Amino acid sequence: MTRLQGMPSSLRRLLASAILSLLVQWESQAASVKILPEAIQLTGKNSTQRLLLQEVEDHLVGRQLTQEVHWTVEPASVATVENHRLRPLANGRAVLRASYQDSTAEMEIEVRAHDGNFEWSFRNHVQPILAKFGCSAGACHGAAAGKNGFKLSLRGYDDQGDFIALTRHALGRRIIPQEPGRSLLLTKPAGLLPHKGGKRFAVDSLEFEVLSQWIANGFPGPAASDARIERIEINPGQVHLTPGDRQQVVVRAFFSDGRQEDVSQWAKFSSANESVVRVDEQGEVEVVGFGEGAVTAWYLSRIATATITAPFLSEDPPAVTVADASPNLIDRQVNQKLSQLRLPASPRSTDAQFFRRVHLDTLGILPTLEEVKRFLGDDREDKRARLIDSLLERPEYVDYWTYQWSDLLLVQSKNLGTPAMWSYYRWIRDQVARNTPWDEFVRQIVTSKGSNLENGAANFYVLHDDPRIMAETTTQAFLGMSINCAKCHNHPLEKWTNTQYFQMANLFARVRTKNGAANNERIVFAALNGEVVQPLTGKPQAPTPLDGAPIPADDLRDRREHLADWLVAPSNPYFGRAIVNRVWANFMGVGLVEDIDDLRVTNPASNEALLAGMARYLVEHDYDLKQLIRLILNSEAYQRSSQTSGMNQAESRFYSRYYPRRLMAEVMLDAFSHVTNVATPFQGYPAGWRALQLPDSNIDSYFLSSFGRANRAQTCACERTDEPSVAQVLHIANGETLNRKLAAPNNQIAQELKAGVLPHQIIENLYLRGLSRYPTPSEARQMKLLLDETPSEEIRAALEDVYWAVLSSREFLFNH
Amino acid sequence: MLDLTGQGSTTTCDGITRRDFLQVGTLSAIGLSMAQHQALLATEGSDLEHENRSAIMIFNLGAPSQLDTWDPKPDAPREVRGPFKPIRTQSDEFEISEIFPRHAKIADQFSIVRSCYHTAAAVHDTGHQMMQTGRLFTGGINTPHAGCALEFLRGRRNELPAHVILPEPMGPTGGDIPHGQDAGFLGKAHDPFVLNADPSVEHFEVPDLRPPETIGEARLQRRRRLRDIVDHTVKNFEASPNAELMDANFAAAYRLMTSSKAREAFDLSQEPLRVRERYGMTRFGQCCLLARRLVEAGVRFVTINTFITVFDEITWDIHGSKPFTSITGMRDIVAPMYDQGYSALIEDLLDRGMLDDTLVCNLAEFGRTPKINPAGGRDHWPQCWSVYFAGGGIQGGQVVGKSDEIGAYPAERPVAPNEVVATIYKSLGLDLETHLPGPQSRPFPLVDFGTAPINELFG
Repeated sequence: MTRLQGMPSSLRRLLASAILSLLVQWESQAASVKILPEAIQLTGKNSTQRLLLQEVEDHLVGRQLTQEVHWTVEPASVATVENHRLRPLANGRAVLRASYQDSTAEMEIEVRAHDGNFEWSFRNHVQPILAKFGCSAGACHGAAAGKNGFKLSLRGYDDQGDFIALTRHALGRRIIPQEPGRSLLLTKPAGLLPHKGGKRFAVDSLEFEVLSQWIANGFPGPAASDARIERIEINPGQVHLTPGDRQQVVVRAFFSDGRQEDVSQWAKFSSANESVVRVDEQGEVEVVGFGEGAVTAWYLSRIATATITAPFLSEDPPAVTVADASPNLIDRQVNQKLSQLRLPASPRSTDAQFFRRVHLDTLGILPTLEEVKRFLGDDREDKRARLIDSLLERPEYVDYWTYQWSDLLLVQSKNLGTPAMWSYYRWIRDQVARNTPWDEFVRQIVTSKGSNLENGAANFYVLHDDPRIMAETTTQAFLGMSINCAKCHNHPLEKWTNTQYFQMANLFARVRTKNGAANNERIVFAALNGEVVQPLTGKPQAPTPLDGAPIPADDLRDRREHLADWLVAPSNPYFGRAIVNRVWANFMGVGLVEDIDDLRVTNPASNEALLAGMARYLVEHDYDLKQLIRLILNSEAYQRSSQTSGMNQAESRFYSRYYPRRLMAEVMLDAFSHVTNVATPFQGYPAGWRALQLPDSNIDSYFLSSFGRANRAQTCACERTDEPSVAQVLHIANGETLNRKLAAPNNQIAQELKAGVLPHQIIENLYLRGLSRYPTPSEARQMKLLLDETPSEEIRAALEDVYWAVLSSREFLFNH
Repeated sequence: MLDLTGQGSTTTCDGITRRDFLQVGTLSAIGLSMAQHQALLATEGSDLEHENRSAIMIFNLGAPSQLDTWDPKPDAPREVRGPFKPIRTQSDEFEISEIFPRHAKIADQFSIVRSCYHTAAAVHDTGHQMMQTGRLFTGGINTPHAGCALEFLRGRRNELPAHVILPEPMGPTGGDIPHGQDAGFLGKAHDPFVLNADPSVEHFEVPDLRPPETIGEARLQRRRRLRDIVDHTVKNFEASPNAELMDANFAAAYRLMTSSKAREAFDLSQEPLRVRERYGMTRFGQCCLLARRLVEAGVRFVTINTFITVFDEITWDIHGSKPFTSITGMRDIVAPMYDQGYSALIEDLLDRGMLDDTLVCNLAEFGRTPKINPAGGRDHWPQCWSVYFAGGGIQGGQVVGKSDEIGAYPAERPVAPNEVVATIYKSLGLDLETHLPGPQSRPFPLVDFGTAPINELFG
């Protein structure tokens, strides 16, 4: 309710009465209608408001009603409705009523300042029009170099500069006060003069009118007294629709002078998931598929998002009906989403599937034959939970997670030199082994100082030696957000402004490095002065962590201490979400937000309640990642089969099943070594060293690079890829990595043959070692046929081929 | 789940997600026909004109001296003009250095741009990036090689890959930054197919294309049969795009392994010895021949690296001192093999009626210092150098741009690397306004805003 407090009291009253009347409606009937937006207030005679009438069922907003809708205003002297648009007639209050068939809805409205003067403003009207029609877009005059000599700031973030470009440059031909209609600002976009960008709006359009009236009024520039945009609102904020439905969305802007304005016409729209919804430039949404989509409106650098849910038309009732009963918060949220979307969940995985999966996801290794047999033979009820507890204490857990964080933190000898690389790696490994809470882990990195050979964490600043890059990397790595766009202009897809970028960068302005005594040794320290200058203003900005508070004048600590305080504070909404999303994606294959380090308002999570819930859980458990992992592994959501069930094959964001994915390069290589019992040699490392134990990405390996290991050159999840390529397949099929292991004289096949193990048993062992399961009767039969027709001197070759077949199968190459 | 279009994105500047593009990008592997692919891409601005064209990019790693090759300055002082004389050519428009007699005979087929320049650091790697991707990598965003962008936008024509690098990707050249020979932000799925072998060696074969010697046809059959058995047991992969892609890749790899077309395309022993010798029995010569065979078989783009590194190899990098090359080393070793391979390629393409549909461009990362250094060589000079183009709609026999009297700076019509790459795209019929899916969903223009092709080159 904090937002309400900021509103004028009249507005609050109106809102309250509107809410009340809706509550009454909900109680009276299950299916009813609702008017949007709520609490309408028209200020000035030019102000209008597009109206929506929505069906409401079970308290959920449903489809938009456009036909047979009757609007009335009482008293009619205050306002009128034409074509679903409310227009003011005189100052006063009135009741707006909509009827559709047997349902009606009503709402109080207010008209103010109808007799007052109204002038279009440069800041709040001209700029949004230039943005909406693409004039200030990146491909047009908003490009860094402008276009054809006319340069605007991208989407109008620089009011002053744009005003000057419009009014002073080009010999003043862009605006001709005596004859507004001859201004290039009008003749070019209206197509009256040749314009490379084509015709953007018509002479009889509202945009033309706004621009020409603004010119006629003496083209007032941006003034300090201008009302400023405070927020925008999109209606409906949440709506349930079905494919084929169309929905108009309406955007309202709220200004600092208390005025609200329908800006739907000048907002820019985009869809975050075009396989579910599309949106056109007028804000008309079309539902094209099942699932959930989001439509984002952008207006004057403010952003609002509408969620559109299109439940699957599943015949089968969702497998999960007792959503609230689950003890695991993950299952409560996932199941609720599934039931909202009417998605059936796949059944629980088999023990064999689960056993293999949990080893690969948690430790990056395959279980041994004995472990598989023991687990499959165990009939205790809680054996999965016991297994999870034991895996989390294994040394391979440390290998695996050290590797993951080494990817994130770019551990590699190429840029650091070997001793520093080891120091960095060992530092990370030590934190993982001690299960250092994530907030502590990050604080130590962000505030690190001293010799990079003694304090491994300090290598973070050895790698990133410019305050801007430090700010970008810190944000990317620990908040999962990219602020890079805001370096040159306001972020077009986020709320971050150019000023915030330079406030953030200035927190790192005093981080310095100098050479130490040893070769490759660098000392990181905080200098006592230094500022980063924002090019737009030519001045440094007060060091401030994104939307946190600036450093108090009396805080004389290293600026990074202030940053770290803000960064890891439980009240920072970004920090917990970022790490939760990373960890979740490791186990579930798909992040709640995709890409996993692209968290932003315009890229909503597929299950916001789940992301928020897990972030809260992590804070409550003192940022104990192991505890978070335990929660995930014990959830039914994680333990589902990857086999599709009913309509859930069509979804890949809501966790109705486990999503199969290719093993990561290092894990696959280690798995080949494990099954064949032939280690992979790495130059400079002892025999038997596994790929996942390598501290460094700067190690020659055709296999690892062609299977997409991260180069650790930039902080981006996109560095690693699990996309299969033809070259990978050719290498598995014909290349030396696998074929050498299969032909090695003392490999697993040779050892078992030598020990007198019968061929069919060797095959069974292979299945257990590689796939964590026994061969099916059909497989066993077909393999036996093969063995029967093979002369004894060719048994070894035949077994090699069986090995090859298993090790190149999707079942082996994928975690599923 | 496949999302086929980015229809909602009517404006080019916003709203196209990387995911949308990736989904479309993988379609060809999952059975969407080329025609459909094209129809979809048409909405993103790729037009069908010159869809049939291919390109061969010869990258002269090491960087030839403009003065000793395609921009001789006979009237300049001795320490500038160097040891070689210009010779007349088949073109009335220009002369070239005497070290390329065979070039001279086909000079009516190619056109030289003598005013190429860049403003980045004078290390090899920067020029490699800019000349192949149109951009210098900054901010950690690796931009895709022109051939990878083409592959992304048009897919492959048949079982052969769309983009092949011969004989192998660029190795270290001192700068220790990427060379711009992969798909960059487009993703590994769009990386070029790399030969990784020297086609001039006896019994040359494509690595990994054939199984090891010990695995004969019978075992190969058995392996595939066995794999089918294992793969048919678990059915959990239907709805997994990457698993489908893996399957599609197995199919493509099998096709490649078993396709007689692919095997033949890579099999140089099918060429009469006379033809092979015409190209020269050198690595470069045989790469040129292989490039012709690959284009003939349907490959859209072939990149030939004349050299792999500048260290301990006789290359264009004529610093005059060890471990680099001397001017005479260039004259005696580099120029003859290069002159022979290139001229054979152009003549062969011409004879086969393929030149109109095959752009051959010869690029380099920079030029060399106008003044000969004390070691008798020339050092790095990105301020001015020459590149040249043939086929693919290029009007041969012309000169575009001009350097000053000592070849130090462009005197007329300066040409930047992004314009060279735009020229390649134009020849291939790609719309320069096309956007690729950049990192973090940022639409990434095919070429930077305002970049135009070198239109004078086209007839």
